[in-house]
Amino acid sequence: MADKIDIKNVAKLASIKLNQEEEDRLKNDLSMIIEHFDALSKMDLPDDKISIHPLGMSLNLAEDIASKSLTHKEALSNAPESKDGQFVVPPSLD
Amino acid sequence: MSNYKLPISKINQLFKNKELKPSELYAETFERAAITESIIHGHLELFQEENLKKALNSDKRYEKGKNLGTLDGIPIAIKDNINISGYATTCSSKMLSNYISPYDATVITRLKNEGALFTGKTNLDEFAMGSSTENSAFGPTKNPWDSSRVPGGSSGGSAAVVSAGSAIASLGSDTGGSIRQPASFCGVVGFKPTYGTVSRFGLVAFASSLDQIGPITNHVEDARLIFNSMKGHDPRDATSLIESKAKQPKLKNAKIGIIKELMEDGISEDAKKEVHKVAKLLEAEGHEIIEVSLPLTKMSISIYYLIAPAECSANLSRFDGVRYGNRVSGSTSSEMMELTRANGFGPEVKKRILLGTYALSAGYYDAYYGQALKARAMMKKEFTDIYEDVDYLISPTTPSDPFKFGEKSDNQLEMYMSDLCTIPANLVGMPAISIPTGLSSQGLPLSVQIMSPSNTDNTLLDFSESLESLVAFTEEPVINGVVS
Repeated sequence: MADKIDIKNVAKLASIKLNQEEEDRLKNDLSMIIEHFDALSKMDLPDDKISIHPLGMSLNLAEDIASKSLTHKEALSNAPESKDGQFVVPPSLD
Repeated sequence: MSNYKLPISKINQLFKNKELKPSELYAETFERAAITESIIHGHLELFQEENLKKALNSDKRYEKGKNLGTLDGIPIAIKDNINISGYATTCSSKMLSNYISPYDATVITRLKNEGALFTGKTNLDEFAMGSSTENSAFGPTKNPWDSSRVPGGSSGGSAAVVSAGSAIASLGSDTGGSIRQPASFCGVVGFKPTYGTVSRFGLVAFASSLDQIGPITNHVEDARLIFNSMKGHDPRDATSLIESKAKQPKLKNAKIGIIKELMEDGISEDAKKEVHKVAKLLEAEGHEIIEVSLPLTKMSISIYYLIAPAECSANLSRFDGVRYGNRVSGSTSSEMMELTRANGFGPEVKKRILLGTYALSAGYYDAYYGQALKARAMMKKEFTDIYEDVDYLISPTTPSDPFKFGEKSDNQLEMYMSDLCTIPANLVGMPAISIPTGLSSQGLPLSVQIMSPSNTDNTLLDFSESLESLVAFTEEPVINGVVS
């Protein structure tokens, strides 16, 4: 299965532009790691139990009450680019 | 014993008796840092000037007999993936090299309320992904015991500064052993609490179902003190636990299981010897030692390296050059994001994001991520069942003593195996502590790890304190022969 890694597609899904050297190295590294997963992927495990939360707890959601939070200025304080109180990004389409 | 190696309760007593002032200890800590930092590079940033006033305020509180808590005036170092308002939080990544936090993590708020002072931010593997600090974008931290060796990771900076005496204690974060493994490599105590007992609000997320903040200290009692100052429900973290009662393990005549699978191939003779030495000491105290088998621990590396990268690929999607972090220009938003992430993330972070993306992608989800979640549930059951029979579990913290720089960096699987003994506690959520117990044949620190059922943290700490006094490990590093 590992030799079938389409590294260009995985990088696209992850939104990371890779150069040729990185593509070659990462394809090799990932193949090696995934090969290590073989024993686990072949294990016969019951389908009815999975663990997402380590203690099996449900999430404790906060009450929906307005409380003190970051100010508009604070929220924008680390923005690479902002204008008129908003984040600025390049166009979505060419 | 130098002031910087005293237990915090003792320092607090000196403050109260007016035999030492917080500002004097603060100055002493930075004098020490001035010598050690050029060798070990544990701190990425030191806060000396900014916090001097706070140290003087602490002096005044003690003069009036109105100190805020036992931590008042205690210099604590903070791992640089935990936000302190007004300071950089870089996660040792180029991506966040200019990021200044506009808020405090909950643990920081709670330590500030106790009067703790912060020495600065400590080095880590980029975004806490690594076991040696070799993945830091700002250069590695050196092990205070031997600067040709790694301090462990990812909280390598936090462990090294406590070991070297340039902080009384520190905070780290532990996703697969990132508190305990560096604590072991640096000869100090590292405690990972039960998942959810300490708020993760303000900790930059790596793998949300595994991450946990905890203390790195010189003494178990210091770990208990800091843990109890930080713990408790936080409505800003949905995974924060509302305190629940659990059956506590015994402190006297306890039954302790040595995990068979963590004493086999891949574990050094030195590390095994240390566990046997500790087992004998415990036996002499009236505890019963048995060997137990937890077969799925052998699968823990595979389970972890599917779950953690899957969660990291989702968590790190927020670093896209829009709201914070560095940006590389592009003609469209998607090109800007791809270039920003290509430029901002280092090789190990890219690898783990891609691994997680692959494991979650259509066609592979069931075979990899889905299978890992099932195996994690089975592993949880194995541990729950074993705790029906034993009070505590014991293993080496690390398979070997600290390795040399470059020794494992070309062999990714060997590097990942250095977390073999620590990962199970993250996967099942239980508390685990690393306690230094002796030196290897090369004169480097070795530790044992003690684990107990979830929500028995303070009992585990009490038990560990009694073990600490039995072992009586008092060795300190001589840093490059320069500092004694």
